[in-house]
Amino acid sequence: MFRNQYDNDVVTWSPQGRIYQIEYAMEAVKQGSATVGVKNKTHAVLVAVKRKPSELSSHRRKVFDIDTHVCMSISGLTSDARSLARFLRSECTSSKWAFDEPLPVGRLVSALGEKLQRCTQFWSRRPFGVGLLLAGYDASGPHIYEVQPSANYFDCKSMAIGARSQSARTYLERQMTAIADSDRAGLIRHALLALRECLPSEAELTSENVTVAIVGKDEPCNILRDEAVQPYLDTLENDMDTDA
Amino acid sequence: MSSIGTGYDLSVQTFSPAGRVFQIEYAQKAVDNSSTVIALRGKDGVVFAAENTIASKLHEAKTTRRVATIDRHIGLAYCGFVTDGRSVANEARSYATRFRDLYGHPMPVSKLNDELSGYFHMLTLYGAARPCGCSVLLGAYDAAKGPQMYMIEPSGVSWGYYGCALGKNKQPAHAEIEKLKLSEMTCKELVKEAARIIYATHDESKDKDFELELAWVCADSNGQFEHVPEELHKEAESFAQTSMEEDSDEEDDSDEDED
Repeated sequence: MFRNQYDNDVVTWSPQGRIYQIEYAMEAVKQGSATVGVKNKTHAVLVAVKRKPSELSSHRRKVFDIDTHVCMSISGLTSDARSLARFLRSECTSSKWAFDEPLPVGRLVSALGEKLQRCTQFWSRRPFGVGLLLAGYDASGPHIYEVQPSANYFDCKSMAIGARSQSARTYLERQMTAIADSDRAGLIRHALLALRECLPSEAELTSENVTVAIVGKDEPCNILRDEAVQPYLDTLENDMDTDA
Repeated sequence: MSSIGTGYDLSVQTFSPAGRVFQIEYAQKAVDNSSTVIALRGKDGVVFAAENTIASKLHEAKTTRRVATIDRHIGLAYCGFVTDGRSVANEARSYATRFRDLYGHPMPVSKLNDELSGYFHMLTLYGAARPCGCSVLLGAYDAAKGPQMYMIEPSGVSWGYYGCALGKNKQPAHAEIEKLKLSEMTCKELVKEAARIIYATHDESKDKDFELELAWVCADSNGQFEHVPEELHKEAESFAQTSMEEDSDEEDDSDEDED
């Protein structure tokens, strides 16, 4: 038998010092459709492509509102994400109640990290099979955080996760300074352009399959769906014309 | 490795016929694969330095940290799985806070070392948990007892140290540390040496780009644990870079002599 002996559970180390179950959970993130997060000096924006499991169903939800100053987009197991959203909402609410001001995003993420870490070390639950992008605005400005199933998290300038997201990350790296200096509309446009890189060749961005979420200075968490997205998609079309 | 495929290495609850617990040794491997962390104990405090690799250009600068504050007077550096390190730091903070609540004064670091070692050991006993994939360095300073430093391994074993290096390049770093007269040096000097050692052991051809993290707890910081002031950090970093350049110049010179 050539089967890997060390990948059955999260409490078994491989001889190389790796935990395969954590690495497999990380793979779940790549199964989900892509989502992109970007920020400039005043706003943080999340965009995501939604999939629908069949022609007769609606699109699956990708973006969740957490509090007036935080929203999150996901890639991976939606059901796992829903339970994490519940946790994040209750953290925000109890902090607001205790301190009478919004919970700083960094604190929220480290609390989440602590929760995720437990199921990578103890044989009680499997690790969460979902990657998150959190966009938030607090006293120290806008933030984009990436949270992985391994419980690791990163404070990012911009980030893309999910299927075929490498090409979006390449776009984001190239446009890094342009994104940081852009205005609100430009920021959303950059996010959508990055997201477009992740699509399979026959697909395109439409008002049905795209969600845009904005949070920033004087703008509480604002999630746009359906017709509300169309004006922003139109900005991509216009650009195509000018390029040609 | 002779342990593989024997079936004695799959659980922390199984001894091998030779009396070893392989799962603990594998956890230690996670530490040995990680990027370098060092700590130096001088005459007036403890200095920590970490080589934090930059995983992506998209990450904000200086946000991935591997040295954490446990209490005002105690610092903790971790090497290995970052996520395990963070959870250990949280555990240590809860011990330190509980001690303050109970006894009304700061926790001695020797006591924290005992308790935290016990926690590491607990994780090596039961099938429902795995050993921690990180080693931690604990450092503290107080005027009465002077500087103190400990290192805890994934097995739960811990020792007091004058100087300690963990991670991928621990061998060359150890060699560099042994050259220093630690007990005669002040933290201001040690910060520079620590930066130099991290730069010297970093292999540009093999290792990824990194950010240097420097922290200390010493007389100069009034016995408080903190990251070293910006100015001193820059000074130490440029000292490390110039001494690197000098080294490579010398190598070039010796090549010419041979011709």
